[in-house]
Amino acid sequence: MSGSDSSAAISAPSTPPASLWQQIREAATSWNQTERPTWIYIFKMVFAALLALGIGMRLDLDSPRTAMTTVFIVMQPQSGMIFAKSFYRIAGTLVGSLAVVLFVALFAQTPELFLLCTAIWIGLCTAGSAYNRNFRSYGFVLSGYTVALIGIPAVVHPALTFDSVVTRVTELSLGIVCAAVVSALIFPQRSTPALIRTIRSRFSAFVDLIGGTLGGSVDRQQLENTNARFIGDIIGLEAMRSSAVFEDPDVRLRSGRLTRMNSEFMALSTRVHALHQLMNRMHGDSHAVIVEAIESYFREVGPLLTRSGGEPVMSATDAADASEKLLHFKAELPKRIRATRGELADAQVSASALLDFDTASELLYRVIEELHAYTATYASLVPRTHEREQRQPAYVPKTSLLTASIAGVRAGIVLLILSAFWIASGWPSGDFAALNAAAICAIVSALPNPAAATKKMAYGIAIAIGLGYVYAFHIFPHLDGFLLLASALLPVLLLAVYMTTRPATAGIGMGMCIFFTFLAVPDNQAHFNAVTYFNQSAALMTSIIVSTIAFQVLLPPATAWLVRHMEKQLRKQVVQACFGKLPQLAASFESGTRDLMHQINALTSEQAALQKSALGWMFATLEIGHAVIELRLELELIERDWPKLLPSSAQLALKELRDYLPALFADPNARTLAAAFHANNRAINAVHATIGPAYRERSERHRLQRTLSYLHFIRTALLDEQSPLQPLHDRSANNNNNIEGKPHAA
Amino acid sequence: MPREISLFGAYIPTLLLIVIATGLLTMAIDRLLVHIGWYRLVWHPALFRISLFVCLAALSGLWVYQ
Repeated sequence: MSGSDSSAAISAPSTPPASLWQQIREAATSWNQTERPTWIYIFKMVFAALLALGIGMRLDLDSPRTAMTTVFIVMQPQSGMIFAKSFYRIAGTLVGSLAVVLFVALFAQTPELFLLCTAIWIGLCTAGSAYNRNFRSYGFVLSGYTVALIGIPAVVHPALTFDSVVTRVTELSLGIVCAAVVSALIFPQRSTPALIRTIRSRFSAFVDLIGGTLGGSVDRQQLENTNARFIGDIIGLEAMRSSAVFEDPDVRLRSGRLTRMNSEFMALSTRVHALHQLMNRMHGDSHAVIVEAIESYFREVGPLLTRSGGEPVMSATDAADASEKLLHFKAELPKRIRATRGELADAQVSASALLDFDTASELLYRVIEELHAYTATYASLVPRTHEREQRQPAYVPKTSLLTASIAGVRAGIVLLILSAFWIASGWPSGDFAALNAAAICAIVSALPNPAAATKKMAYGIAIAIGLGYVYAFHIFPHLDGFLLLASALLPVLLLAVYMTTRPATAGIGMGMCIFFTFLAVPDNQAHFNAVTYFNQSAALMTSIIVSTIAFQVLLPPATAWLVRHMEKQLRKQVVQACFGKLPQLAASFESGTRDLMHQINALTSEQAALQKSALGWMFATLEIGHAVIELRLELELIERDWPKLLPSSAQLALKELRDYLPALFADPNARTLAAAFHANNRAINAVHATIGPAYRERSERHRLQRTLSYLHFIRTALLDEQSPLQPLHDRSANNNNNIEGKPHAA
Repeated sequence: MPREISLFGAYIPTLLLIVIATGLLTMAIDRLLVHIGWYRLVWHPALFRISLFVCLAALSGLWVYQ
């Protein structure tokens, strides 16, 4: 049915005087595709919330509205995400509950100490949540603010602590169960199809990029955009995978392969970028013969990634075929490259041009190798079990300890200020203000722009206070029975949930959902007390205002200083590449660098200049860091197989390079750049001299040649015209030219 | 079976423990069913899983309250 509908929608514009019936059908189709899932989600969410409220009331829980709030907090469009979020919510609540029982047992007599301890705990948990990714970070948030939520009221009545822990856990579980059951049973929206869509679209986007890059039709801007999108994709896929394993047993079986695909993809995209940059530089150096020789190989790669009919590879099944072809191509490549190199050498091409050719062909071989691995893993997703599932390098997120601790300290300070105010003023709802501010700080810290998010939430709370007043004092007293209550709540809840589904009003909607429920929805024993209501409303407003101020004043996450700090972290990745432990280093280097870039992207989403400079550093770091890692792997193999192959002078030169490169990235200036550049040239000279003009056995020669090509690649990366290192070159330009010709003069 | 069990001095309904145990049991059975490919034959896997859990929990609840 939907097939014929969509074809009608496509053909409609070509026949201008469409009948009314056709127009209605067209509108219905487009609504069906875009709006229907949203509305299903809205109704599911409201239904789950009312279900939780109803069951809570029927079970005589103390405050069924907590269960309802929980539904709003855990509800996500896809059921896998709900399971993941619920899992960590329960885990976090349990940890927090244990902490509450412990703290109350220790400090029940001295609220000041208890609050200090709670502030430190919340600070630690918020820092922990900033340090983790995905829903695990949410677990940390929960274990932090559960302490505030249960503990602060418990300070007033310590004897009730255990009961309130049990009550809260019960209510929370009820909310979670309702959300999970409703989302899984009624029109389930699964994460898995989205996961498959992402994998497919990324594969085809990547194939396009490879075709374009190797065909020379992609400019720098486009390449940057594509790469920036890939960073988001890589992290998104990791997030999706980590929640889809909760939902779909088939995904759980393939989880290792998905992780592997992600890390292979990162390696491959770095390599393709490197090759692209190298070719750009070679075009600039005008070795037309060399460029032509290598580009004839590039043109053969594109067709390998298409099906027999010429259309691009789409599904995992097609990928199996492509992977076969790539394997064949890869096997043939070295022989053909050697033949081409022989022809070039006969044609009296200069030594430096030959070195360019070697470097490019080495990179090409690696691109093919990694492309084959990536395609093979893609193809391996079809069967349920596969040997590629085993032992994967995990995705390693890289959060700076500093940003995490800033978030933690901020949450701690906010809680301390408000609780000090509470104790000093004796304000009856002060405890509520304090715990709420702690919860808001903890929840919002993970967002890219917390100050804006809290501001939006404040609008939501203001609306909730107004609506809540009308409901609590003018509507609810006239109602009798759950059905009437539910139908009275329905319009507000529908509106609030609808708002959460629009990006522009999502924060407002979230504030309304959570706090309208909190303020207005009656408990089993309904109290209609205007003084309490206004006290709590004032406390809510105070807490959100204080949190907003805290996010704007206490080192707001988007300051240029913080971005510079992150950029420094990014460059420091080179140190890891130079000195980290070799096994798995490449994978953790790749994911760590991209993760940092992803965080910078989020911080600088409105400052294009900062973002561009960080992206430039990311490419420089990735290229050079990757080359260093490969160089180290190569040297390790040489060390193992032919310990005497490299003379001590060459080894010394290589060791020096390993010291100068991190120095350059730690403090990029003209002097460190010149030093790193010289060290690199010395290393090139030394290895060049080791190869020598005399005959060498082919495998030995090949190893040395490879070492040389990595060094050469580092050199071209240092000289790259678009790299952020370029402006530093000016003063040392003379030195460069002196050395440039020298190593290849032979 | 007693209807409440004392856990460090706090009385906990046996039913709660049983529900937790059945939850774990369901997960174990679920893993097994995944491995033999059972879910390819099931129309609504989530519904199947929840029904399995409800059946097991109800049976063991009857055993407590018989």
